Amino acid sequence: MSFVQNMSTRAKIGWGFLIAWLGGTIVFAIAYGITSHKAASIVSGQFSPIDEFRLDTWFKIGPIAINKGVLFILLAAVLTVGIMFWVARQMQIRRPNRVQVAVEWFYDFTRQMTSENMDDRLARKYFPLVATLFVFILVTNLIGYIPLPLETSNTFNLFGVHVPSFQIYAADTNVAFPLILAAMVFLLFNYEGVRYHGPIGYVKSLIPGGVGRGILPLIVVIEILSVFLRLLSLTIRLWANLLAGHLLIAFMGGELGVLVGLPFISWFLLPLGVLIFVFEATLIAGLQAFIFAILTAIYIGDSVHGHN
Amino acid sequence: MQSALDHTVAFASSGSFLVQPSTGLTIWTIVVFLLSMAILARWVFPLIRRALDRRKEVIEDSIDAAERTRRDADRLLTEYQERLTDARRQAEDIVQRARQAAEVHARGAQAEAHVRREQLMEQTRREIEAETRRAIEEIRSEVADLTVMATEKVTRMALTEEDQRRLVEEAVRELDFTELSVGGEG
Repeated sequence: MSFVQNMSTRAKIGWGFLIAWLGGTIVFAIAYGITSHKAASIVSGQFSPIDEFRLDTWFKIGPIAINKGVLFILLAAVLTVGIMFWVARQMQIRRPNRVQVAVEWFYDFTRQMTSENMDDRLARKYFPLVATLFVFILVTNLIGYIPLPLETSNTFNLFGVHVPSFQIYAADTNVAFPLILAAMVFLLFNYEGVRYHGPIGYVKSLIPGGVGRGILPLIVVIEILSVFLRLLSLTIRLWANLLAGHLLIAFMGGELGVLVGLPFISWFLLPLGVLIFVFEATLIAGLQAFIFAILTAIYIGDSVHGHN
Repeated sequence: MQSALDHTVAFASSGSFLVQPSTGLTIWTIVVFLLSMAILARWVFPLIRRALDRRKEVIEDSIDAAERTRRDADRLLTEYQERLTDARRQAEDIVQRARQAAEVHARGAQAEAHVRREQLMEQTRREIEAETRRAIEEIRSEVADLTVMATEKVTRMALTEEDQRRLVEEAVRELDFTELSVGGEG
């Protein structure tokens, strides 16, 4: 076994993982067979992979329901405001640490984002909106990758207590969250457009120059449609990205094996699940927040200056 | 229990709850978002901006101060260099002047010595001349006396002493002693 001793630590770990991965797959295949053994709840259709995104109403305050999504929103808000407030206070007295540098970068970046897409007046007015959208969506996305015991429809028994299952849930996976934020942005950029151009002028400003009289009605319809499509694209981009990401993590993290009743598939796909998790948490979470924020800036700036 | 199961199955098969916005979540989202934005806009963003502006100012000030210090240092250096050059020039000046003074002094002393020697020599020369003259006078009178005596012995003529003397002196005066004088001098 001298070749094992000669290997570097990194190589040992790498080979260890590879052997555990492939060996585990084989062990599972032998132990449970390669014929499907679906769980009863799956055969009956009682279990559905999208059920974890269902929002069970926990309790109601008047007509307003409190559920898992609401808890995540509140958590995101508290974290957002708390962290930003703490950093802002720290910045008044201390030399910068890493968190402060990140917040400063975020601040400058957002300021650049607003000032490049809007004139000075609008940039000043909408900086708080763009910045808050950025950081709020970012925090909402990020806490969506922390496993929390919140799956109330599916409990496990811990010393006699029914604890909700752990799950990674993001408020963005319910369409309500991106939709209401997108609707707010939609209202704001139309409001700014109408305020600047007047109602007729705003519609005119949507039409690109040099359009022939013949196809003008068609262009008007298309352009107005495209304005409404912004609302949809803002909503669906964020929602679908996060939902798909979470579904992929769940599938690759073991659910697929459960669904098809083959445990070795769960083991085999686990590394992929981990990779997707890292990819989603490090890149997609920030990217989607950034895209939402910069599109807000672009749409508002566009509605005043026209996109011609 | 059965109804709940049916409910679940019905939803699972359609999945429509995914695209159906939850009313509670909608309201909570917008309220919480606007509240967060209000707090951030009112208390947090201005603090961050102020801190960033202040840091920028501090950095700019530091750069300015550094620039100023550098300029001061440059100025001081030039000044010191000028002063040093000045001092060196002055030192050279002083040395030069001292050398000149020494030279002048030396030359003066030389001249004085020369003059003094000349004076001494002149005096010596004059004394020699006087001595010579006196000696010549002496010789002259001696010769006159000797001549008188000799003449007396030869002639025994009764010439008065006065006559003889007069005659001799006349003779003597015709004699040329210059040669003697020149020889004595040489």
